[in-house]
Amino acid sequence: MGLVEDIRDRYLDRLSPATFRSRLFWRTVDTLARSPLNRPQWKADRVSLSYFIRATRDAYLRRAPVVWSNLLFPSEIIIGSGCIPFYPEMAAAVVASAGLAPRFIDRAGEEGFSSDACSYHRCVLGCALEGFLPEPDLLLAVNYPCDSAPLSFSFAADLYGVPHRVLDVPLSGEEEDLEILAEQMEECAAAMLSLAGMDAGEGRKKMAEAVSFSNLALRAMRRVEEMRKRDDCTLDGKDAMGGVSVLAGSMGSREGTEYYRLLAEELEERGCAGGGTIRLMWMHLKPWYAQGIFDALERHGARLVCEEYTHATWEELDPERPFLSLAAKVAGHFLVGPAERRARHLARLARDYRVHGAIHYNHWGCRQSCGGAMLVKAALQEIGVPVLTIDGDCVDEREYQEGQLSTRLEAFLESLR
Amino acid sequence: MSEENAVGWFCAYTPLEILDAAGLTPLRRFGDPARLEAADALLHQAICPYVRACLASVTDGEGAGDAVVSRHAVFVNSCDGMRRLHDAWRARFPEHFVHLLDLPRNQDRAGERLLAREFLRLLATLEDFTGRTIDARSLREAALRREERRLAYLERARGSSGAARLRLAMGFQSTPADEIPGTEAGGTRGGGVPVLLTGNLLNPEGLVSVLDAAGAEVVCLDLCNGDRAFSSSTLPAGDDLEGLCASLARGYLERRPCARMADARRRADDLVKEVRGTGARGVIYAGLKFCDPYLYDFPRVQKRLREEGIPLLRLESDYADGHVGQLLTRVEAFLEML
Ligand code: SF4
Ligand code: SF4
Repeated sequence: MGLVEDIRDRYLDRLSPATFRSRLFWRTVDTLARSPLNRPQWKADRVSLSYFIRATRDAYLRRAPVVWSNLLFPSEIIIGSGCIPFYPEMAAAVVASAGLAPRFIDRAGEEGFSSDACSYHRCVLGCALEGFLPEPDLLLAVNYPCDSAPLSFSFAADLYGVPHRVLDVPLSGEEEDLEILAEQMEECAAAMLSLAGMDAGEGRKKMAEAVSFSNLALRAMRRVEEMRKRDDCTLDGKDAMGGVSVLAGSMGSREGTEYYRLLAEELEERGCAGGGTIRLMWMHLKPWYAQGIFDALERHGARLVCEEYTHATWEELDPERPFLSLAAKVAGHFLVGPAERRARHLARLARDYRVHGAIHYNHWGCRQSCGGAMLVKAALQEIGVPVLTIDGDCVDEREYQEGQLSTRLEAFLESLR
Repeated sequence: MSEENAVGWFCAYTPLEILDAAGLTPLRRFGDPARLEAADALLHQAICPYVRACLASVTDGEGAGDAVVSRHAVFVNSCDGMRRLHDAWRARFPEHFVHLLDLPRNQDRAGERLLAREFLRLLATLEDFTGRTIDARSLREAALRREERRLAYLERARGSSGAARLRLAMGFQSTPADEIPGTEAGGTRGGGVPVLLTGNLLNPEGLVSVLDAAGAEVVCLDLCNGDRAFSSSTLPAGDDLEGLCASLARGYLERRPCARMADARRRADDLVKEVRGTGARGVIYAGLKFCDPYLYDFPRVQKRLREEGIPLLRLESDYADGHVGQLLTRVEAFLEML
């Protein structure tokens, strides 16, 4: 049993907003996480787990100002400004993996949120409305990868009566435009420093530290990528996909660096599983509550060798100009702007990881990924990679039809043989 | 107007004066709501039906849709839907002029600076495309003509309501700048129950005509294909192109905001003000499906209107509005309650 399920089962009948604000609860979580019974597959996972447990606990117990952000907002800025980053979209994945999402999604529905919107955000808003999330002091979003975060954060900001800010990432990528973004990032950092009660000098030091951790993490991450390109690398994409939270939420922290360093080392040590699998790429995210689809892959001798969101997409940050290089980091992301960029990124991955086929998981309500699916499919087919698109929902398990899905999956895998 | 000069546009934030100044004829496309499924091969079904209708109208075996056949197009990076429409369009018409104009969400100084730079970039791209230099004078003149056209619409639309008013607004958007559209104003005011209609973009032949039939008098058409594009002046001041673009950027950002802008509170405030100012007795919130900006906007507006004691009815449209007649009783019941 996983840690999340274990905690859920112990607390299910007394799950209340107060639970998460009690020290006792966090002590229990900590003990369970450290217990020898909870043995994550990879040493690195233990590091990320304890990082997220600590950050989430501190956020609930308000040990430092809490800043909500969306997936592409660089955590370096928040960590480097003495605040705790909290990524609600990832919280939704955890809630979904505990099988608790439907209740919160329904709560958002009662408030008037349409079931046509992304269930990550409906789940988050439902949790927020019920008082289950750590109260933010500030909400920061960039206007990518999708429209959902800026919009739902705006609602949440009103709910909590705190400021929220959306940063416009310029499409052009020109330096003068990036400077405008960098200035806004710097303003955000100044606001966070004052929330954290730090002065500019302390801030500079902390930001420099965050930048250097982030660069170290990037180097280790590149090593991980090289390892993963090998035939039958032992790290499977369905597990690696959880790394999206490390990538988004812990860059700039010591643990973020440790995670990738340990992973690279362990991959080197463990070597490869040895031969003959169907190599697949996974696009968009997975249903967090279901394992069946991955068991089916395994049964058919298929393996996810890479996945869309967990790869390094930026260059090392310049310690002399941290904000400008963070602006470039965001603006250079493949999810910013036209879907052509995304298609290019995926085609590159497909080539580098020598995939035989790719699966696009159409998460209901995700206009950015579903919207670009056809274009991505065409781009991959052009380089000879067959694509299977499957409709589903990453968070709402009620929208998941395993039977139908397995039939299509099996037919697809058959065709790849 | 030759086909080469026509350029399609889709979002109410498109700076038409810049396209005019380049000697082009910007015409808004409304797509072909009757053939949405023609877009299936290019876009997922859970994407804004307006976007899908626009794409459907340029797929093979073209149906009724837009009269203009030009494939040149200027898109605004306003929402995921529009971005995806741009992507599909560019992939399909690689030889045509296809431009994606960035639009900040913030109405502050940074937003203005970014948008002004986008306008200048658009000018440069248009110069390349048309081979014609655009100077400050031609931009100023084009802006003046646009302002006259805006006032002409407001004049013609005075006293008109509902579907007729919407058709008129759409006519003003989809005909060349020097043409006054033939659509007759109508749906004369008076007699109906005054309501305010707010939402993204609606088909005048569908949901809006049901409001008319039910006896509503839509005194304010807060839609992106309705009054919103005409709501305030964007007439710029400035001596050179840079100054003009900066001023133009301010004008566009200060306009009555669409729900995708960052300042959502302002949208709710504006709505309440408008209800009080026009004497509307209730608000009809009607939007196209799968439009995130409005899906997330609704709960806030609902909450605010409740606090203000303003009755609200929510309706949903798939743009084609085939079964919209079924809404009649709901709308009638709502109006009766008012
Ligand atoms: S699933 Fe799509 S719409 Fe939802 S948060 Fe992620 S990118 Fe945005
Ligand atoms: S209706 Fe909504 S989704 Fe469609 S183009 Fe307008 S803002 Fe975008």
